[in-house]
Amino acid sequence: MSEYRRDIDITVKVNGVEYIENVPAHMTLLQFLKERLYLTGTKEGCGMGECGACTVIMDGKTVNACLVLTVEADGSMIRTIEGEAKEGMLTELQKAFVEHGGTQCGFCTPGMIMSGQNLLDRNPNPNREEIVEAIAGNLCRCTGYEPIIQAIEAVVSKKEATSLDGARSKSEG
Amino acid sequence: MIMPFAYVKPDTVDAAIEALQEDNAHALAGGTALLVDLRNGVVNSDLVVDLKGIEELDTFKVDAEKGVSIGARTDLNAILEDKTLKTTHPVIHEAVSVLGTYQLRNRATLVGNICKASPAADMGPPLFVLGAEIVIKGPEGERTMPVTEFMTGVQENALEKGEIVVRVDIPAYQKAKMGYMKKQRIKGHDLAVVNVAGLADPGSGTLRICVGACAETPLLLEGMDQLYKEVNDIDKLAEEVSELAVSSISPIDDVRATAEYRSDMARVYVKRIVKRICS
Repeated sequence: MSEYRRDIDITVKVNGVEYIENVPAHMTLLQFLKERLYLTGTKEGCGMGECGACTVIMDGKTVNACLVLTVEADGSMIRTIEGEAKEGMLTELQKAFVEHGGTQCGFCTPGMIMSGQNLLDRNPNPNREEIVEAIAGNLCRCTGYEPIIQAIEAVVSKKEATSLDGARSKSEG
Repeated sequence: MIMPFAYVKPDTVDAAIEALQEDNAHALAGGTALLVDLRNGVVNSDLVVDLKGIEELDTFKVDAEKGVSIGARTDLNAILEDKTLKTTHPVIHEAVSVLGTYQLRNRATLVGNICKASPAADMGPPLFVLGAEIVIKGPEGERTMPVTEFMTGVQENALEKGEIVVRVDIPAYQKAKMGYMKKQRIKGHDLAVVNVAGLADPGSGTLRICVGACAETPLLLEGMDQLYKEVNDIDKLAEEVSELAVSSISPIDDVRATAEYRSDMARVYVKRIVKRICS
């Protein structure tokens, strides 16, 4: 019978790096990422699962980190926005956000990228309805959503258009 | 600010029952209700009992002949993505598809939605019209009760101290027509202003209509089978059922709508669901 612990040892992989930490049971994954690991890219918008600003990918699934206790992530693999760009090179989705104006103040962007990227990982060819459904849990006060949807659509169509030798077609803005 | 608590993740239902008998202990499944309450100070817990380590709660069986069993651990996206369930019990699929958001549904559970027992619970009306049974285990052993008796009030359920819901059992329906409709303020993530579910089985003469978000619990309308038998004209049936709905409910004013608007919408949505399932 396991004991009732107030502080718990956990092992969690974040963006491919393993962390062994002792955490209070009541600490959320969001607090852990920001305050313990200093991965401040993930944002707290509402703290109660309504805005999606805290969206991260946990074991392949998008979750609101504000509603996950850190201890629930023991043994899990977490992806945050910091893990997307590799060695300063933005991902296709991140580049598309830049090119299509999918980012204004930037506050929703980490969550939007995680939701958008997770969609593309699950379904490389989503239609508009599927895109909208995937980001419906991410609120944006700036863009009116259209540039964000277009950014994701651009990645989808670029995947279809890009030739094998890697030549980049300039995207229409 | 979430106040500190102890945490345990038992391997068995018995261990969970033992832990839940501690003072001020709370069960944790998806956490999308509990964490919100903890954050807002609505709940202060001394012990959070994580149910996600218990294999017995993993049931998820869908059989067109035998019915459906949904365990306490089953998350809503798993339910939404089940193609068989979409054809055998489409009212469940419909309700889950408008519940919360994709991120929430990766964690939230159907059992949790019923246990939280919000009057506007999306899973309430569908399970009411399906005649679902709630299977409970606790210090006194196992018991089963109809979902209609399980939701007892505003955010109140019939669980005694130390008890958990193990699964929800839903009968098979071969020829019934069923549906769920949700009146929301916005198209995305919103609680229902009014929600309705309906099930019509002409073979057995069964008609079940349930209205949610208009009383302390979802309300299964009475006398439906009789009306279904007596009234042949579908428009007249829809009219009579919707008037009965309006006189049965007791909606309130809240942040989402006034009681008056809820009454009006109950009338509209009940008419629509009757026409949909009885045509």
